[in-house]
Amino acid sequence: MLRASALAEELGVPSVSLTCEGFLGQAASTAAGLGMPNLPVALVPGHVDVQTAEELRRNVLGVTVQAVIQGLTAAPEEAADVDEPSPTGVVFEGTPDEVNRHFYAKGWSDGLPIVPPTAERVREFLRFTALHPDEELGVLLPDQRSATVRAVAANGVMAGCRPEYMPILVALVLAMADRRYGVEHSGNTPGSETLIVLNGPVIRELDFNYQQGALRDGFQANTTVGRFWRLCLRNLAGFLPHRTDKGTFGNTWRVVLAENEEALSRFGWPTLAQDQGLAPGENAVTVSRFTGGGVIVSVFGDGPDHMIPYLADGIARHVGWEVIFTVGMASGAQKPLLVLSPILAEMLARAGLSKHDVKRRLFEHARIPAWKFERYIGGWTNFTPGQPTLAALVGEGRAPAIFAESDDPNRLVPVVAAPEDIMLAVSGDPLRTNAYVFAHNGILGYPTTKRVELPPLWPRLLRSAREGDLR
Amino acid sequence: MTMEPDRSKERVLWPRGRKTVDLRPLAKRLDTLEGKTLGELWDDLFRGDEIFPILREAFAARFPGVRFVDYRVFGSTHGGEEHATIAGLPAKLREHGVDAVVSGMAC
Repeated sequence: MLRASALAEELGVPSVSLTCEGFLGQAASTAAGLGMPNLPVALVPGHVDVQTAEELRRNVLGVTVQAVIQGLTAAPEEAADVDEPSPTGVVFEGTPDEVNRHFYAKGWSDGLPIVPPTAERVREFLRFTALHPDEELGVLLPDQRSATVRAVAANGVMAGCRPEYMPILVALVLAMADRRYGVEHSGNTPGSETLIVLNGPVIRELDFNYQQGALRDGFQANTTVGRFWRLCLRNLAGFLPHRTDKGTFGNTWRVVLAENEEALSRFGWPTLAQDQGLAPGENAVTVSRFTGGGVIVSVFGDGPDHMIPYLADGIARHVGWEVIFTVGMASGAQKPLLVLSPILAEMLARAGLSKHDVKRRLFEHARIPAWKFERYIGGWTNFTPGQPTLAALVGEGRAPAIFAESDDPNRLVPVVAAPEDIMLAVSGDPLRTNAYVFAHNGILGYPTTKRVELPPLWPRLLRSAREGDLR
Repeated sequence: MTMEPDRSKERVLWPRGRKTVDLRPLAKRLDTLEGKTLGELWDDLFRGDEIFPILREAFAARFPGVRFVDYRVFGSTHGGEEHATIAGLPAKLREHGVDAVVSGMAC
């Protein structure tokens, strides 16, 4: 919304932005990132979603109208530039404890101890990329900061990563900067959190856990790379709680999920990265923002006919209000992820099902009543103006025909727009019959895959890193 | 045995990225809203469809000749339409002779 206002200002058209009371701080920080810290806002008292029509009218007439007039006619205060440190110079000198206190006070750390990003440590990370330290991987909203290779290395050091993780860190920031991913939405109120899925030989080369406890902290590679992502959101994109990050509750960052590629190759299923268009054996990261999810425990049965309905039920239960990304706000953008333990995936594969077959059958079973779907998109929420029926949305060409096959409110409709919208991965305890489902945040963290480019002489560099451990 | 704190000094780099956007001037404000055309930009969220009509009514009573260009003309500034709406905004503001913009809703 503020980006639209800023564009109007740039075109010489004055603007004012209608802002609820709890979002004034976010508006100010976002406006600063747009280079217009004095961008006028007009206060809307409280939050509109819990006001009666009379209260809303009273608030708009009593407060907002005058603020709109003021914003469009009164010259705002002059904005002042803020001096910032040089990205290449020393910003602080002190003991590790003092560095930690300083970084926390400045908002540059997440509250856990960081490894101080000295030039020497950053240089060690830079050995593991062929890119120049000053190369810009992208510009990240909302602060519109330049994400350079050097800055990536500094945040990798801070997160406790090992230098040889650097190729993965670079790929992650490229994904963060990709417009399809939509990093600018990372501070939205559902407080969704990104999951990184890793594929390729680097899983084993860098000791990522891909077996039991795949989503548990306690494995340096999985844990620190996950932490790195959120430090980058803080330091490179500019998402800070109580300011630009408006997650109502939020979540802690997620550890990296590495796929079990030995299992996948045993029964001939492609990896998630292959589903995303990469070649077999390529190293890749796939990032998506997920709102939440949960475990599907003790899947029982002697074949797909027994197992699929329960797995599909898990998807349908966890995709609730998120169907606004199936039909409505951004149709076809809901991409839930089902993670199968290897023994479950192998059972399905041995029964002759390809990944596509599994997705198709999940699509057929993961359904909810049409009346409930309509409540989610407009009724219980207010995400789709006018509270249209699914039939109306199909009529307008905004939803596939499958959502209006009859006018029975109890008819079952899918929770995703197409079978391929269900993402499948294989990881976790190889010999336990559990699965995990993640509901997805649609275009506000759209699945984005980047190849992990290894530097020349990677095997030698990796060997030298390991030998360094032995010294 | 007690651990001695580490007293060695660390010289650390700034972990942030350089801002790529300099301060930019705002557009000149209007001297009056009388006779002006106001464009409504909406992200299809948080009751803008109720708030804009209240604004229209209040402004019409106060500023003779003021005119609103309905938010539906521009498309949603959020969700699946966002990028197309932003890309088309300059042409539509010109086409409809918009003097100022009211954009909502940040909630």
